[in-house]
Amino acid sequence: MSVSVLIVDDHPSFRASARMLLESEGYDVVGEAADGAGALLEVERLSPDVVLLDIGLPDLDGFEVTNRLAGNGPAVVLTSSREGCDYGTLAEGSGARGFITKSELSGSALRALLP
Amino acid sequence: MTSLRRALLLLGFVGLVGGAVPLMLAPASDHVDSKTVSMVFLPLIGWAFIGTGLFAWWRRPENRFGALMAAVGFTWCIGGLWMANEPGLFIVGMLFGAVPYGFLVHMLLAFPRGVLEGRLATGTVVAVYFVTTVMQLAWVLTYDTTRDECGCPPNPILLWDNQGVSDVIAGAQSAIGLLAVVALILALYRRWNGVGSVQRRGLTPVIFTGAVLSADLGLTLAADLAGVSGPVEEAVDIAGLSLLASVPFAFLIGLLSTRMSRAGAVGDLVTRLADAPRRGELRDALARALGDDSLMLAYWMPGSAGYRDVHGHAVQLPPPDAHRAVSHVDHDGRRVATIVYDATVVEEDPGLVDAVGSAAALALENERLDAELRARVEEVRNSRMRLIEVGMAERRGLERNLHDGAQQRLVSLALTLRTARLRLEGHEDGASELLDGAEQELNMAISELRELARGIHPAVLSDRGLPAALESLAGRSPVPVEVGSVPDERLPEPVELAAYYVISEALANVVKYADASYARVDVVRENGHVLVEVADDGVGGADPARGTGLRGLEDRLGALEGRLAVESRPGLGTRVKARIPCG
Repeated sequence: MSVSVLIVDDHPSFRASARMLLESEGYDVVGEAADGAGALLEVERLSPDVVLLDIGLPDLDGFEVTNRLAGNGPAVVLTSSREGCDYGTLAEGSGARGFITKSELSGSALRALLP
Repeated sequence: MTSLRRALLLLGFVGLVGGAVPLMLAPASDHVDSKTVSMVFLPLIGWAFIGTGLFAWWRRPENRFGALMAAVGFTWCIGGLWMANEPGLFIVGMLFGAVPYGFLVHMLLAFPRGVLEGRLATGTVVAVYFVTTVMQLAWVLTYDTTRDECGCPPNPILLWDNQGVSDVIAGAQSAIGLLAVVALILALYRRWNGVGSVQRRGLTPVIFTGAVLSADLGLTLAADLAGVSGPVEEAVDIAGLSLLASVPFAFLIGLLSTRMSRAGAVGDLVTRLADAPRRGELRDALARALGDDSLMLAYWMPGSAGYRDVHGHAVQLPPPDAHRAVSHVDHDGRRVATIVYDATVVEEDPGLVDAVGSAAALALENERLDAELRARVEEVRNSRMRLIEVGMAERRGLERNLHDGAQQRLVSLALTLRTARLRLEGHEDGASELLDGAEQELNMAISELRELARGIHPAVLSDRGLPAALESLAGRSPVPVEVGSVPDERLPEPVELAAYYVISEALANVVKYADASYARVDVVRENGHVLVEVADDGVGGADPARGTGLRGLEDRLGALEGRLAVESRPGLGTRVKARIPCG
């Protein structure tokens, strides 16, 4: 059974290209959200296995959304067009499974972070 | 000769003649008991009031005080006609007998401006005028002047000979007059308490005389009500006349003492100015000279068409009102400063403010130049700050545009290429290699763009604050960097950004020149400042004058009134310190 993914990013072009790539690698992209509040609603509604979560969202940022999803929620993988080191130790301490720079996103990179 | 002066001289001549009337009438009068007293006091009082009143009128034509004082003297002379044996003149004298007291009370309460202030003063004057004119007329119309067998001529305007009515009117006049005297004393006491020491010096004789005279009038009226007669009544009369005669001279003494105090105040001021007062002391010296602690000094800035205080800060003059007066000080035909002061100062002595302003004009010009310099420095500082803020905003906007625009499109393109390569697997014809090459080029372009954006503006600093931004700097540094203490709270953006760039530049220098194995960054808040320190264990010997990096930082810090220091002795590492004000 394929892994279900929710893509959260405020840039439609990234959501579209990430959906195409992940679906090509066998993931089931079950939904998309453009901001933090939408992400929380879609997680509640769709219960995805993985949330690919952009850090720079227009309302709540990715760290705040991760914090709210902590517990028995889905695995969160943070992403950004900036590098992980730009955020210092924030990504490590956020409770997310890991961080992937957007330009390096691939199914295998995502799989490497999942259990 | 001006028309006013001619008119006053004419009035003076009339007064001279009028004052002599008692001298002519008293000796022949059939009904005057104390002829000597009348011949001494009555002309003296008339001439004193007319003379000093006309003098004050001439000196301050806009002030009604002189006219009131002259009116006391003229009506006093007309009142002297009561000594005439001819019934017509006698009754005119009777009608005017009390009028001078109306003008006298008005004059005392209107001193020094010539206008009445407050309901107590106005009500008192209205009451006294009513008693001395309307009630006096009513009394004369009902009083038979031959009734008391005093030898007085008959009353030619006696309408209704009724002793009961005339006694009631006279009693009412005395009672209202007594109340008015009490009100006069109260009003003078309030006036005395309400002025500063400089003005009080000028007020003292008049207030004192007025108060004593009021008390004496009160005694006279009380004696009338109580029916006192004989030597006691005469003694009270003489005391009252003596005090009345002293009032105009008290006014002259008051005027003289004001002039002396003005000369003293200006002399003191000149002495203080000779001691080269420090900034702000000039205002204090002027306040002392004018006896007005609330004095405000504003310097005129010709370029900006506005006022500044001694520190160069913009100030607004208070709107003009009855209590604050404004006087401009010019020097060499140009406005230098404006003095805002308590209006009672100019009421008391109109020339004092001009005299003080003239004495201090040069010192004011010096302090104005100092204030102008400070204002310009502040403007330059503000302008530099605005330029930095505009620059910050533009760089932030540029970074955001790169991030949201070109970077996102390139990222999407990279992912699309990767998808295309996946879908080509199995039927390639060498296309996969081409796509790999394109993807590598694209990733390099994305990486370079990312570096460019990061150099333009550290977005993580704006988004997450200094701790995260410093962790980011430390994480990217090839030399191990320990981030020590950093304030958790957000600092003002220019301060945060200046601290960030100091640390970023210092760490870049550590990598380039220090040959260090370790660096440490600390940011602490202390006494209204942010202290930044970047220390390494490298070779030291750094020259702050070399290169433009640290010099550029000095400019940025300078706009914030910050300072940069570099300690870098050979072999002992380098320590870069910045101190940035942060209220």
